[in-house]
Amino acid sequence: METSTPKAHEIEQGEVVEISALAPRFEEHAFPWRQIAGYAASLLLTLGALLLVERRLLPAAWLAPVILALAAVQAGLQLGLFMHLRESLGATWHVLTLALAIVVALGIVILSIWIMAFKSGVS
Amino acid sequence: MNARAPEASRPNLPLEFQDPRESLGILGFWFFLASDVVLFSCLFAVYAVYHGRVAAGPTPFQVFDLGPVLTETLLLLTSSFTCGLAIFMMRRGSTRGLSVWLLVTLLLGMAFVGMEVHEFAGDILRFGTWHKSAFLSSFFTLVGTHGGHVSFGVLWAAALVVRLWRQGLTPGTARRVYTFSLYWHFLDIIWIFIFTAVYLSGKIT
Repeated sequence: METSTPKAHEIEQGEVVEISALAPRFEEHAFPWRQIAGYAASLLLTLGALLLVERRLLPAAWLAPVILALAAVQAGLQLGLFMHLRESLGATWHVLTLALAIVVALGIVILSIWIMAFKSGVS
Repeated sequence: MNARAPEASRPNLPLEFQDPRESLGILGFWFFLASDVVLFSCLFAVYAVYHGRVAAGPTPFQVFDLGPVLTETLLLLTSSFTCGLAIFMMRRGSTRGLSVWLLVTLLLGMAFVGMEVHEFAGDILRFGTWHKSAFLSSFFTLVGTHGGHVSFGVLWAAALVVRLWRQGLTPGTARRVYTFSLYWHFLDIIWIFIFTAVYLSGKIT
């Protein structure tokens, strides 16, 4: 990691520069522990969310934010454990693209709800 | 080309990343998934805005039956797990293990689509079609778009099983299987949000 980093003027044109976020990264395992852990956690989170709603374990106003948070955790598990999000020939490119897509998606959903919450007679 | 030279052969990488062109294809597929995130966000936004506009028709609370929906969720979750096992077997170089888990994934996907078609048919018979209200329009569009994606994924998996059987595990096949796995896990993530933001939220009183 902490080898001497070349200054910009020292790099020749066409030379391959090692940046840790762009370095190849792959993980090898002998047994699919990550997949099993991801599956078990997904089942727990799904059934947990279902129980919260079915048994009304929380005040109604709390339920929606809590189960949405559980869904977000589960999405993160799928991305990290099943989609090998951190593995690639430099994960930076697809992680940044996905992050941008999520910002746009949240913007579309949240701002749509917000703007339509004004009872101005158009909806 | 100078920049390509160090990448030309990369035998110590997983098979799907060894060929620079195939590896670039995987990055391209992430870009496609990013665009699909935005597509689904639009459908979620429409549903979020219109789920209360039931006209004279049924409400989400009346339409949704969490029993079959939970079965669908478990089918898709399990298929996402078996798809992860398929990639695990591929990384270990086992064509046979990969084919078997891919086939299991495909069958679970088919079961999911079957249950969803059954659910939609029941909804239409009892409550009416998407013409009935803005709620039903946005519901069928959002969940149907996801179901369409899953149906396409089932056909894709079938084509991959045939390809594996005929050509074995090559960098090209490995890249196709890997992009399929990204697609399949992505659809599971979308379903998690449909299950939460559509079905469960509809049952909050």
